[in-house]
Amino acid sequence: MKRFLILTKAMSLMHLRNGYVLFWNFAFPVLLMLIYGAVMSQYMNYMTPGVIVLNALSFGLVSSSTMMLEMREKSVLRRLQATPLPAVQLIGSYLLVNVIIGVLQSTLIILTGVVLYDLPVTAASLFLAYPMILAGLLAFMALGGIISGMAAKAGTASAVGMTIYFSLMFISDMVFPLDMLPEWLRKIVPYLPAYPVVQLVRSAMLEATLDPKWLTHLFLLVVYGVGATLIAARLFRWEPKA
Amino acid sequence: MSRTMIGAQNLTAAYGATLALQGVNLSVEKGEIFGLLGPNGAGKSTLLACLEGLHKPIQGSVQVGGINVAVDPTATKRQLGIQLQRTALMDDLTVAELLEVYAALYEVYLTSSQINALLERFDLGEKRNTLARRLSGGQQQRLALAVAIANDPQIVLLDEPTSALDPHARRAVWDIVRQLHDEGRTVILTTHAMEEAEALCGRIAIIDRGQIVACDTPATLIASLQLNSMLKATVELPLDQVCSLPEVSHARYTGQHLEVETARPEVTLSALHELAARSGRSIRDVMLRQPNLEDVFLKLTGHALAESNPSA
Repeated sequence: MKRFLILTKAMSLMHLRNGYVLFWNFAFPVLLMLIYGAVMSQYMNYMTPGVIVLNALSFGLVSSSTMMLEMREKSVLRRLQATPLPAVQLIGSYLLVNVIIGVLQSTLIILTGVVLYDLPVTAASLFLAYPMILAGLLAFMALGGIISGMAAKAGTASAVGMTIYFSLMFISDMVFPLDMLPEWLRKIVPYLPAYPVVQLVRSAMLEATLDPKWLTHLFLLVVYGVGATLIAARLFRWEPKA
Repeated sequence: MSRTMIGAQNLTAAYGATLALQGVNLSVEKGEIFGLLGPNGAGKSTLLACLEGLHKPIQGSVQVGGINVAVDPTATKRQLGIQLQRTALMDDLTVAELLEVYAALYEVYLTSSQINALLERFDLGEKRNTLARRLSGGQQQRLALAVAIANDPQIVLLDEPTSALDPHARRAVWDIVRQLHDEGRTVILTTHAMEEAEALCGRIAIIDRGQIVACDTPATLIASLQLNSMLKATVELPLDQVCSLPEVSHARYTGQHLEVETARPEVTLSALHELAARSGRSIRDVMLRQPNLEDVFLKLTGHALAESNPSA
């Protein structure tokens, strides 16, 4: 346990001292809110949960893997592999730090919404919203794990992640309502990973209730999360591809 | 009684279809400084990776401290102190933080004064709170060595600890390695510099193309091949003419220096002078030297240590 704590402290310091990580993780989410707020301030109740998920999606698919990929490319992972540290502790510690960062990002977005756009949140709505955000984060990070396992380089991983992120962002009812989509796409979207999170977070945050289809949504997220975790674990590599 | 700290039998390792090690046998006793000498791509790092449990051999077995690496890798990793060829530390951490973390990974928890003592020893005391990435090359290398022994290991594996260091920093690392030896630790290091192997190592394994071609003390290796003295001179003459001079057993050029192996240097030298005079060339910088590991390597493998393997 002491080993895990010291390692986790080190992982946190590494994230906090990295300017790139700091900007994308903490400045970018707030910027997103300011941009959306400037363009459509009257829709911010609808938008804020969307921005939370949109941010969680880019974080899960891309940013949360950045440090791991960097450690892989610089042989830091290989150096760690040579120690008696169990892989589960290494990955557990890394995920813990990143989940905390992900939750902090969502908190920053909510705070921006409350301060600047009178977002009507209550203790009850937040109490319900946070577990939903967390479920989404975990599923997205697991999917990000597949991408980093498959990509030979950090650059490739981020390009693939961003492509998926942008595709999902436009069709998952985050910032554009679903009825703007063609009929056939509307049938597929509910089964993609981002849409269920948007519905769960939005009804929790704005109405402090569970979405009518919450069981289906959560079930889908669990399937994505567990499935992706298993695949990501199989694809995990200590070294960059030769 | 001596105790075997590292053992390998019939070790064969590959990357894809390329064989990196072929049937390597190795036995390193407690307290030795053991050198793996060979050109780039010879298989030195792969051999270390097999000992470290980082590379799975396709054949043969490896023991660290009497424990089979394939059976209990965690137990064997626990006994090792490691420095990889690339420094590969988390360079957004400070020097002191790195020591704390790497010791902790071995479940060794250093106190602040233990960390200070370790840093003083590696001449990094003033750099305690400096981020690793802001250190110079020599400092980073010393840090990598400090990290390697942070868990107080009995066996230390150093992969090219002095490559890319200036002569001063290189001497500092040599001193550290000798200290590790004085403390009774077993050290295995790789190098492609023969003067380093000669200066530091009690025994040397010469590796070429994935095989150990010879293994003994530097002095015995040199003596066993009964090499003649080497005559060195700066002169431009056709090699075939030099080879046909009296008493010459071998001749080659290293850069612009002619190196001639001869049983009777005085005879060869006067013949060389005559040859040069006839060809209208002048001889400069004549020097006679004892055979060294470089010559042993050349003799055993047919190519110079400085050249890379054609396959690498």
